Parts: sequence; C-alpha cells; structure tokens
Amino acid sequence: MSVKMQQPPQTADERTLSTRSAVGTVFGLEMRQRLRGRAWYIMLAVWFVVIGAVFLLALATMGSYMDIGAMLFDLVVGFVLFFGLLVAPGLSANAVNGDRAAGTLAVLQVTLLTPGQLLAGKWLASWVGSLAFLVLSAPFIFWALALGGVPASEAFISLGMLALELGLVCAIGVGVSAIANRPLFSIVATYMLVALLSLGTLITFGLSTALVMEEAEVTSSYYSYPMQNEEFNDQSPEPQPGDPECITETFVQPVAHTERITWMLAANPFVVVADAVPYSRSTPDAGQSGDFGYVENYRPPGVMEGISQQVRDFQAGPDYNVTCAESQGLARDVDDKFPIWPLGLLLQSLLAGGLLGLGYRRLRTPVRRLAQGTRIA
Amino acid sequence: MTNEFGGIVVHAAARSFGSVQAVRHIDFEAPPGEVTALIGPNGSGKTTLLLILASLLAVDSGSVRVGGIDPVADPQGVRRLVGWMPDSLGRWDSLSALEVLTTTGALYGMSPEERTARAHELLETVSLTEYTRQPARVLSRGQQQRLSLARALIHDPQVLLLDEPASGLDPGSRVDLRTLLRTLAAAGKTVVVSSHVLSELDEIADRAVFVSRGESVRSQTLDEAGHQVRRYNIQAEPMDALAAELSGHGMRFEERGDSRRVEYQVMLDSTQQAAWLLRTLVLADVAVTAFAPAGGALEETYMSLDTDRR
Repeated sequence: MSVKMQQPPQTADERTLSTRSAVGTVFGLEMRQRLRGRAWYIMLAVWFVVIGAVFLLALATMGSYMDIGAMLFDLVVGFVLFFGLLVAPGLSANAVNGDRAAGTLAVLQVTLLTPGQLLAGKWLASWVGSLAFLVLSAPFIFWALALGGVPASEAFISLGMLALELGLVCAIGVGVSAIANRPLFSIVATYMLVALLSLGTLITFGLSTALVMEEAEVTSSYYSYPMQNEEFNDQSPEPQPGDPECITETFVQPVAHTERITWMLAANPFVVVADAVPYSRSTPDAGQSGDFGYVENYRPPGVMEGISQQVRDFQAGPDYNVTCAESQGLARDVDDKFPIWPLGLLLQSLLAGGLLGLGYRRLRTPVRRLAQGTRIA
Repeated sequence: MTNEFGGIVVHAAARSFGSVQAVRHIDFEAPPGEVTALIGPNGSGKTTLLLILASLLAVDSGSVRVGGIDPVADPQGVRRLVGWMPDSLGRWDSLSALEVLTTTGALYGMSPEERTARAHELLETVSLTEYTRQPARVLSRGQQQRLSLARALIHDPQVLLLDEPASGLDPGSRVDLRTLLRTLAAAGKTVVVSSHVLSELDEIADRAVFVSRGESVRSQTLDEAGHQVRRYNIQAEPMDALAAELSGHGMRFEERGDSRRVEYQVMLDSTQQAAWLLRTLVLADVAVTAFAPAGGALEETYMSLDTDRR
C-alpha cells in the first residue's frame, strides 16, 4: 500500500470552490440520493393515482355542466396546491438535520462549502424534487384546459404560481431543518407553519371580522314577483308571475370593514395562487336579467376563481349598495382593486428568508455556541 | 521544530458545552513529517480537540494554529490544508465509493479530471477498487473506515486528523494503515491520530500527547517513552530457576496469574538494563522462554499517569 505524492496540477492553496460548482455539487448529491431511493417514486405514483382519481371522478360527476373545463381546471389546480403543500415539507424539512443525524453534515462542513451554498443546494434539490409532482399533474391540468373555457395563459400562470408556492414551502422546510436538531420535529414544525398559512390565516381573518364591525346604512335590492291576482283562492287560475321588479330598500345594519383585515389572507397559498391568475373566462351576457329574473347563462365560478372573487370582495370592504344582479349571485365588480398576491408572496418570502437566515447562523463554522445535546459529528 | 508554515500548535485551548467543560486546558504540538498520537480515555476531549483543529468548533479561549493559520479567523484556509476523518461513520448510502470521493473532491474545489484520477488512486491505496461502483451501504464497517480515510485524503492535505482510524479494521488493514501513515509522514505531512489502542500507536507514532479530563497531562516522544521505567514479563522452564536467579540479583518480581501460564513481572529502568538482565539470565543457564515488555511504551506512560478511567 502506498500513496503517490503526486504533484497536482494546482496546489491546494490555489483551489477555490465557485458558488456555482458548490451549489451544483450539493444539488447533485441530494438528487442522486433521491433518485436512487424508492420512497420518492412511490410518492410520485401515489400522487399520480390520487390526482387522476379525483380528476376522473369530477369529470364523471360534473359531465353535464357546460363549463366543465373551467370547473375541472380550478379543481385540479386547487388539489395540486393542496397536495403540494403536503408533499413539499416532507421533501425539504429533513434536508439538513437528516444529514446531521446521518453524520454526513460535518463531512460537508469541513470542505470549502459555505453554509449559504449548502442551504441553496439543499433548497434547489427539494424544490426540483417537488416540481416533479407538479409535472406529473400537468397532464390533468392540460386535459381540463382542452375541455375549453379556460385560456392557456391562465394555465401557465397557475402552473408558475404553483411552482413558486412549492419553492417557498421548500425554503421554509429547509430553513426549519437547519434550525431544528431532529428531523421529526422539523417536519412537524414545517407542517404547522404550512397549516398556519393555509388555515391559520382563515381563522385569524374570521375572528378579526368581529373587530371591524360597524353600523352603516346599506341599500339593498332584490327582485320581487308581484302576483296579478291579488285575491287568490282554490278557484283562481294558476298565479301568473309578472315582470320581476327590482325593489330597493335602505337599512342601517352592521357591516364588516373587511378591507382593513384582508391583508391577513394574503399569506394564504391558495389566495396567492388564486389571486395571481387573471381570470378572463367567457361569461356570455352575464349580468343581463332574463325573463324570470335569473341571470341567463350564469356561470358559477370555479374553486380558485371563487377564492379570488371572494378575496377581492373582502378587499373592497362592505357593499353599501347591493344591486339586483348581485342578489342573483353575480360577483360585485371590484376589478379595480389592486391584486393582493404580491403582498402574499412578500409575506411568505419574509418567513422563508427569516428561517433560512436563522438556519444559516446555525450552520456557520467554527461553531461558537452549540445547542444542548448536539454533536457536531 | 514546528514552524509557522506547517504543523499544529495549540496553546491553552479551552472549550465547554454549556456546563460541561470538554476541553479545559490543552497544549498540543504536532510537527510536520511526524505522526503524533493523541491518547486519552473516553470523554477526555480527544474528539473535541480534533473538531477544533478541523475548524468545525471554535475555542472559548487559547490559541490554535494549523499550518500557521487560525481556524477561527480563516476556516477556509485551514480546510484547504486539513483532511479530517471523523470517528462516526457518516456515509451517503446510495453513492458508490467512487462518487463519495469525487463529490468530496468537488467540494474542495478540485477539477473533474483531477478528482477522478485522485479518487481512483486512493481507492487503490485503501484496497477498495472492487467496490468502486458499489453503493457505500454494502461496505463492511472496516471498509467504511478505509473509505472514510480515503475521503480525508482526497485533496492531498498537508495536515491529516484521524479520529480512531484503526477501529473496526482487520489486522491486515491495520498494517496497511500503519504503512500509509508512515509514508504520509515521510512525505512531510502532519499526521495526528487519536486512539486508545496503544499497542498500535507504539509502532505508528513518533510522539504522543496524553489528555485526561480535558487537559493535556503529558507530552513525550516515543524515544523518551522507550527510556522510561517499564515492566517486563519473563517466563522460563522451570520458573524456580528464574525466581532463584532474580532473587540472587536482588530484583523484586511479582507473579502474574492473569495469563494462562505463570510469568514474573519485573520493573526495569531502561532498555540497557533489560539487555543486561536477559544476558545474565541466559548466562546463568536459566531456560528463558519469554522476555518482553509488559505493554507498549505508550501504554506504560498511560498507566503511569494513573488517570481516572471512566
């Protein structure tokens, strides 16, 4: 056994590690391990089956709707987001402390790799890992698109926003995994943070509405169908509905100033995705009252579109003048409100960035302060 | 001996974890071109000291220079110089032995050709060529240790820090390790080996630093260790003749019952005295069948320090 003391092309002092090469190496290391394990493939298969089952079930039950394309599209986007929020923490939240537990983190730390490069590589790998799930659900998204009613731009923006959301959740997961010592804890903590964004924002918003209630004068309109025969007994002919009248009344009633608290909803991933999509779906003759007072060709909004409308409605604040068309279920025209999703992305990015920043501090070596019960190697 | 440009100089290093004082006061020197053994009982601070030298852990106080560089001020500079083999078997299960080495090489900034060539060379050095394409999880513990050693050597470091490198190695691999470490030292590298298998260190190390309870209690070269008072075990056929001869020279001996055959143990001041005694016994027609130091030179020091073993 002998080791050649070869003169390397570069001496040790000259070697430097470029960020590109460092991040690429960590990314490659993570991806290789993922691609060679079975867990990821099993998750992908389960995902595909579940999304496919939901899609086909929806297709079968809603087949009679005219706007099946839009309905299904929204359903798939919402479902993919929901499932993505479940998968992304699993792929990211043990990235760093999993290595710590396996004893391989110190081996990386003792090289020229910096904590930032390590986190970037881990984050990229978990993001790409979760994007595979998005790619796998693309067939259903495009299938729904093919059924018509949704412009292609909507599909691409939706996919882009889904990808962005997965990236943010992965960043949160990687950040938490660098802070927490045990993988189990960090995965649970990441799920809690995702739940905080998805459900916590709704609950906080709901509870806060009580704080923004004020009395206000509201003009409310509704349709009335006057009977032609005022006297009305068994002998009279079937009552004939006349032309509906739009009756307007004014009350003083409590209204919720939701425009003051809608920002709370911004950080919700569903709101971000729903709100970012510019809905330009065909609603022929919408708003025109038909003979019977019903809006003709009324198209119920899809899940995501509905979320967007609802949020913009909250943003607009109380509706002091409910028109007859609105009483029929048409959304109020509040398109002039500024979109809320950039705020949502900002809030989520601040959370992810803050966690990654704390994680960075925990990964800096030589370690000065070490958490109780941690071993470096 | 240890100049500014090579080797390791640690002065009054201290490091605590919360209320646990892992390293209280360690003075440590490892000159280039020599193998320095770091010896001490479990929990004495050996691994902590190596983590400090590997620039993973900062000292609370004291000064540390690795190749003339302060690991706290310039960790990157130290990492370029240092190869560290941890005591724990961290591994990337699904990577092949070759990939483990090339990945590590990449993170030391080596070019693809350079790291691939070096990885193949090291796999040969540690006799793992048949596992080049095998996933690391199929390796046995001893093979993992060898791969871990190769990983520490990938960037041809000037300073090598090995934490219990011999544990889990079969006798053949131990001999290989010894040869490798001697070769590296001969090439001018600074080699630090922590272990508590003292008999091995006798043959590998040039010098030893003994630590106990986070303090460096003794530092000596193997030559010094060889010149100290040592215990020798002697056997003869029959033992009576040996006992008579020893008593005749006024030498105190004690009978040892802990080996399968009875032997006498004597304290001798030096190797010269040992040579004299053996010659005397042989000339007195005592049929000496065994005459050997009771333990290695380092073991003798270790025992004489009478450190409390936990």
